[in-house]
Amino acid sequence: MLGDPVEAEDVAQETFVRAWKQARAWRPGEARFDTWLHRVTLNLCYDRLRRRREVVTDTPPERPDEGPAPDRGLEARDVGDRVAAAMAKLPDRQREAIVLCHYQELSNIEAASLMGVNIEALESLLSRGRRGLRAALSDMVGD
Amino acid sequence: MTHERFEVLADAYGGDVARWPAAERDAATLLIAREPEFARAVLAGAGDLDGLLETWTLAAVSHVLRDRVIASAPPARRDWSLRAWFMRAGVGAGLAAACAAGLIVGVKLSNAAAPLNASDETVSAALGDYDDLSGLGEGA
Repeated sequence: MLGDPVEAEDVAQETFVRAWKQARAWRPGEARFDTWLHRVTLNLCYDRLRRRREVVTDTPPERPDEGPAPDRGLEARDVGDRVAAAMAKLPDRQREAIVLCHYQELSNIEAASLMGVNIEALESLLSRGRRGLRAALSDMVGD
Repeated sequence: MTHERFEVLADAYGGDVARWPAAERDAATLLIAREPEFARAVLAGAGDLDGLLETWTLAAVSHVLRDRVIASAPPARRDWSLRAWFMRAGVGAGLAAACAAGLIVGVKLSNAAAPLNASDETVSAALGDYDDLSGLGEGA
C-alpha cells in the first residue's frame, strides 16, 4: 500500500496499539476482527498517503523502477522486484484494490466495503490496475 | 453469463475462477463447460499476469517489528490477574497433586500399619486444596 517497508512497519505497530486500546470494548460476534484490523490499517495508510500528497506538487514524483532492465535474464526474485516496482507506480486506489483482492484475498464485498465503494467501482479499479501492471510488465506477459 | 461479463470478471479478478465473486462462479463454470475455447483464451490471458503477481512476496515480519508490537501493548491488569490466577492455580494444583501423590505412596507403604480410614482422610485433606482454587476462580 505504501511502498515503503519502514512506514508499513510503523502502520503495523500503530494498528496494534489501536487494537490493544479497543480490546476491552471488543464484543465477539459484532464484527470480524480481521475486517476491523484491515479497516484500521487502511485508514492509517490513507492518512500517510494524504500527507504525502499534501507535500508533493500536482505532479506525482517519479518512482524509481528498481527492477532490472527488461533485456536482462530474469530470476524469480527479479520478477518479483519488477512487480513490486510496477505496483508502486499504480495510482493509490488501484493498488489498494489489487492488494485487498489479490494479495489479501478478501472477497469483492469485503474489499468494496473497506474501500467505501460499490462492487462496480471496485471492479473498475481492479481492471485499470491490472491493465496498468500489464503495460508496465509488457515484456513479460503476452498480449 | 455473457461473454462480456466473463471478460470483465477475468479482467478484474484474474484467470483463476476460484478468486471470482462467489455469486458468479457457478455461472462462469457453466460458460467454461459450454464454450471451453473462448473461456480458455480469456482465462489464459488474465492468468499470465496472475503468475507474475505471485512472484512478489512480502518479506516475513521482522523480529524487531514483532517486539515493537508486543512492547506497545499496555499492561492489562485484568489479564494479569487472570494470568496470576492461572499461575497460582497451576502451582497450587501441582503442589497439591504432588503432595497427594506422596501421601498416597506413603499410605500404601504404610498400609499395614495405618488404618484405611485414616489414609482416606489424609488424601481428602490434601485434595481439598482444589476447592480453595475453585474459590479463587470465582473471584478472578
